[in-house]
Amino acid sequence: MSRLVVEDLRYPEDGSIVSVARLAVEAGGRLVIFGPNGAGKTTLLRLLAGVLAGGPTIPAAYQPQHSHVFRGSAAWNLGLGLDPEQTAWARTLADRFGLDPALYQGPARALSGGERQRLSLARTLARPEPWVLLDEPLAALDIADRMTVAAALVDSLNGKGAIIVTHDREEAAVLGERLAVMVGGTIVQEGPVAEVFSLPADDRVAKAVGVANVLDGVAGRREGPLCSIRVGSLQVWGVGELDEGAGARVLFGAEAVTLFPGHEAAAGSARNRWPGKVADLRETGRLIEVIVDVGSLIAALITPGSREALKLAPGSPVTLMVKATAVRAVPR
Amino acid sequence: MSFIGDVLSQALQLLSQFGAELREVLWLTLMVSLVATAIGVVVGVPLGTALGLGRFRGRTPLLVAVNTGMGLPPVLAGLLILLLLWSDGPLGSFGILFTPQAMVLAQSLLAIPIAAGVTAGAVGGLSPVAREQLTALGLRRTSAGWIAVREAWPGVAAAVAAAFGRVVSEVGAVLVVGGNIQGETRVLTTAIVEEARQAQFGAALALGIVLMVLALVINGGLTWLQLRERAR
Repeated sequence: MSRLVVEDLRYPEDGSIVSVARLAVEAGGRLVIFGPNGAGKTTLLRLLAGVLAGGPTIPAAYQPQHSHVFRGSAAWNLGLGLDPEQTAWARTLADRFGLDPALYQGPARALSGGERQRLSLARTLARPEPWVLLDEPLAALDIADRMTVAAALVDSLNGKGAIIVTHDREEAAVLGERLAVMVGGTIVQEGPVAEVFSLPADDRVAKAVGVANVLDGVAGRREGPLCSIRVGSLQVWGVGELDEGAGARVLFGAEAVTLFPGHEAAAGSARNRWPGKVADLRETGRLIEVIVDVGSLIAALITPGSREALKLAPGSPVTLMVKATAVRAVPR
Repeated sequence: MSFIGDVLSQALQLLSQFGAELREVLWLTLMVSLVATAIGVVVGVPLGTALGLGRFRGRTPLLVAVNTGMGLPPVLAGLLILLLLWSDGPLGSFGILFTPQAMVLAQSLLAIPIAAGVTAGAVGGLSPVAREQLTALGLRRTSAGWIAVREAWPGVAAAVAAAFGRVVSEVGAVLVVGGNIQGETRVLTTAIVEEARQAQFGAALALGIVLMVLALVINGGLTWLQLRERAR
């Protein structure tokens, strides 16, 4: 098994839907294709799978986004395209993915969407090809099971390489080693998952991965890999190579921001240290997004517990700290 | 009204007797139609499945041919087989003209396009999701085709019913290649033509009722299978 390299992939011929200059995955590596709806992720995967003509020939097992089961028992569906040994392996995998064996003798059409997805996933991973191509493999599962199945999926690859489409950050973090962000049919950034999420290459990526803080300013002096940007009254240090005086944009996630109560200088080596006032507090499900006015509006994330402990309310004085290496500065 | 009443009572009387001649005609009709339908299904369903799943060279002309064949006039099908089997024709040496074999051949020519066309519609009508999954399974063409037929079963059953309905009811093809020879190649439809021509309306109606009951039994069975399968 060797690494997978795809170059100059266009669909259709003019590349209006997919236009990928280069896509490379190490043997046994896991690449997540991430991006907004309509970015061309599914089309790219279908091209790689050979379902759409015009792609490369890759020895890969492919599972489409929507798992369809055919007229017949669940057991029969699980074994489709597999030899007896592979079918036995598929059953083991289906167990790991939480498919109840009691369902096997019943008609496959009685299975729920999540059960169908577990079945399809097990069958696809039991195939002999050295690569698997999975389109939103966890989308039909309950939120409660999703991360468990994601971890089981990764454990079940047994050295196979995987290209996985998702638009969920948590899934991407568990499933992928590397992440390729796709926008408008092209791959706009590729790198280790954490790096892409924390240091988006430009504002298209920032938007795609949901980076909360995007501020426009003007580039100032540089220090090694770092560059200072003036954003209104605010001085922001970030990673970037920008010429002094050039228009600049700074990008950083809400999760990169640390929030301290009050305006007294707290401990820490962060270059970016901005006093301000809480402007708003928003529930996001698990965490609370705090919007702080430090001259510009900046989003930070805290737990509900922290909110209680810090007694945060609109108007509370706070200090924000962000490491310069967690901030990306790009030309505007 | 007494004319219709008389015809009806004659027909019912003939049916209640159900004589040897009627049994013979029914038996031959059943055999010829079932064998022709079987040939139509064996050739037409795989052809229609291939056409429905699509993507091969020559698909479009083949589809046009099948769709045209669905409307092939039976008498023309009969004529084509007649020319082939005529003593000076390319298959004349077989000497099967004016035999049930010739009738089966002519009716198969009618059954194949119907079975293929209706199957192509049923298989082609499978959801894009089902088709994508089928492709993703990476099966050999025959296995994929078999699963597609199972999946589109209600439609494929309709193809079988349509093919049988076409051959059992046509008169032109069997008349031309069979010759309507009493006791040899006479089937229900050609017998109706014969009786009607001789103004034996009671006998003609009796044959007609038998034909309808035959169609009812076969189609009833297929519909039952269709409904039972659909529930799964």
